[in-house]
Amino acid sequence: MSTLVFSLKSKPTFTLDMSSITPSVLEGLTLAKIKKLKLVYGKETVTVDSLFNVKGKYNDSIVIENSCNKLICVGKGLSKGTITVNGDVGDLLGQSMTKGSIQVNGNAGSWIGNKMSGGRIDILGNAGDFIGAGLPGDAFGMNKGLINIHGNAGDRVGDRMRRGIIIISGSAGDFCGSRMHAGTIIARSKVGKYPGSGMRRGTIILDRKPAHIAATFKSCGILKMQFLRLFFTQLAAMDKEFETFNKLGPTAHRYSGDLARNGKGELLILKSKTK
Amino acid sequence: MYIKLSNGKVYDPVHGINGEQRDIYIRDGQITRKPSSNTKIDKVYDLNGKIIMAGAIDIHTHIGGGKVNIARMMLPEDHQADLVSRTELTRSGCGNAAPSTLTTGYRYAEMGYTACFEPAMLPSNARQSHMEMADTPMVDKGAYAMLGSDDFFLRMLSSKKDQAAISDYVGWTINASKAMGIKVVNPGGISAFKFNQRQLDLDEQNSHYGVSPREILLSLIRAVTELGIPHPLHVHGCNLGVPGNVETTLDTIKAVEGMRMHMTHVQFHSYGTEGDKKFSSGAAEIAEAINKNPNVSVDVGQILFNQTVTASGDSLHQYAGHWHAHPKKWVIMDIECDAGCGVVPFKYRDKNFVNALQWAIGLELFLLVEDPWRIFLTTDHPNGAPFTSYPHLIRLLMDKSFRNDMLSTINKEAAKTSTLGSIDREYSLYEIAIMTRAAPARSLGLKSRGHLGSGAIADITVYTEQKNKEKMFSTPDYVFKDGELIVKNGKIVKVVNGGTHILKPEFDKGIEKSLKRYFDDFQTVSLGNYKMHDDEIIEDGRGKVIVQPCM
Repeated sequence: MSTLVFSLKSKPTFTLDMSSITPSVLEGLTLAKIKKLKLVYGKETVTVDSLFNVKGKYNDSIVIENSCNKLICVGKGLSKGTITVNGDVGDLLGQSMTKGSIQVNGNAGSWIGNKMSGGRIDILGNAGDFIGAGLPGDAFGMNKGLINIHGNAGDRVGDRMRRGIIIISGSAGDFCGSRMHAGTIIARSKVGKYPGSGMRRGTIILDRKPAHIAATFKSCGILKMQFLRLFFTQLAAMDKEFETFNKLGPTAHRYSGDLARNGKGELLILKSKTK
Repeated sequence: MYIKLSNGKVYDPVHGINGEQRDIYIRDGQITRKPSSNTKIDKVYDLNGKIIMAGAIDIHTHIGGGKVNIARMMLPEDHQADLVSRTELTRSGCGNAAPSTLTTGYRYAEMGYTACFEPAMLPSNARQSHMEMADTPMVDKGAYAMLGSDDFFLRMLSSKKDQAAISDYVGWTINASKAMGIKVVNPGGISAFKFNQRQLDLDEQNSHYGVSPREILLSLIRAVTELGIPHPLHVHGCNLGVPGNVETTLDTIKAVEGMRMHMTHVQFHSYGTEGDKKFSSGAAEIAEAINKNPNVSVDVGQILFNQTVTASGDSLHQYAGHWHAHPKKWVIMDIECDAGCGVVPFKYRDKNFVNALQWAIGLELFLLVEDPWRIFLTTDHPNGAPFTSYPHLIRLLMDKSFRNDMLSTINKEAAKTSTLGSIDREYSLYEIAIMTRAAPARSLGLKSRGHLGSGAIADITVYTEQKNKEKMFSTPDYVFKDGELIVKNGKIVKVVNGGTHILKPEFDKGIEKSLKRYFDDFQTVSLGNYKMHDDEIIEDGRGKVIVQPCM
């Protein structure tokens, strides 16, 4: 059974808004109709077949081949099905998605999972800034769901996120988890300066101690945390690639903060050598 | 150049014309008498069977000034969800509840409106308000200056300065801020909020100045009368949105002792405390009082079910309402000790008892007030609903079966307590023409607008009669502004700028002496910079000042 495959004919000159290419929009459309769908391309509107070769048949999943970073809003508002992207992808991947999954076999731009409230995003390469964040003016960022980045992430991962899990296997940039309302971020390699700056609640789990922790975080000592045992067991049971979490925890150096807000958040450092 | 609108059904309440077939002639932007038979007619529009009314006038819509801008900044989701792309003629914009200035102007024109009045311009914000209004194309604009909670006025009142001096100050404010009238918002209440009072009744004293809303109200009404301002004092009364405020509203009507007063968004001031939920309709009592007191006019401030944003100068009651903010964010602020402002986004839900009853109360008021010359069609944009829902509201008023269908979908309990279902009245096109055209023009003292007689400015809207009045009023066939065709079949065909109506009342310039001292001591800007000049509105010919005469 083939899936719907959109392969890009050549690299677009302008940004291409892909928000209308989702399973819920394409369901029930014939191939001819899909080819005539409108996409916003730079300042203009073009049909799908002027930029893509489309083949296959609808079966709840979509594949985008030869993708590049000019494709924005891929999987915007995704409510079911899967989208697989082979190649890079631009900003706002999975914006406001509620269900389903997106996998990118390449790098992604900024604002991944912006305001998402469910579903799962996997990036095999690196990702830009503001993963799972809210746009300027939004009260909250990511609301639910899971974002899994295999490579490195930019600054301000999970800015204002409210619920959900973000896992970064590579390094994360500065201000990781800034202004978090709640939720969990796991950084499995090094992070930049001042993680958790301005966080209200939520948990940031770090592999090792970052170079700079803000003065508004207070050490609570090294603790054996039952939360971590439960959390990691649960994660490991979720997916094969998360099985390595079984080896982590439950001991962690806990910092509570940001005391400039209300101090109900925490940084948990797994490999801590401090007394 | 002569334009002839031939054979349309004309609704012109000022001249008592109710749907008669007439020809209308336009020359140089004005409506004229029928020219002699050998005059060349340059353009003829055959409007056989179409309906002709004057351009509609919105007497109360928040389209400029600080609070609208705060609402815009605070609600990016409102903008992201409603993007308007540019066309050959019009520029891009966005927003539904708080649209950008250009979009506001386009949308008003596309609905057949040709004039809009911003009701809450703080004198200290006047410059920005006028700049925003200058950016609102297509329609004529005007604004009411907000007084009643400003430090200078309250000082004058508490030190028992004589009425002449207060009138001078009011006249000076209208001149300095280029206003079209005076509005008072929760008289003294905005100031009281800053001194930690969380409510202020009509006869309760402001704890700092020792003056009551009643004194403020009377003093301002006297000033407006003495200065000969055509539009009566625009009153946003005490206790907005508080259950039981029907008493306060009735007291306010009694308090003015027969002097002219315009009570705005009266729907929010008509709540009783009966029933299990201690929230009931006071529409019948208010409507009765309005019917009995010919000195009082009202606009309704109808709510309609949707996401919107409430933007008001009444920081006291906006603060009280911030718990219901949706989405959860809000702003309450003071502006230059002049007044305040509160912006709270809000979602009216039809299944919610209170919202559903508010909806019914508004409609009850519309239908129970007998004289359409004294009740105006507003949603207090954006507080009750965005102005784009006016056609829907007109349908609710003109179509009883549609109204009852809607009534059956709202909260059951609210529908049961409301008398709306038993009211048979349906507005006629003539009455709609009164309440959206003739009456606002008369109330504002716009002699050459709101009618189709000879000498009127040719602001004309042409509709096709349809059974579905919502469709009919949302896409006019033609809209003329100053004699130029600007909208055809509900789409803009020409962009014009529109002018700004202002007043220049006479007053004793001696008041500037004490104002100068006050500004030097307390204000952040000097008196000279505070005052606006006509040139700032004209701005290289983009705007136009239309000075309306005082009475």
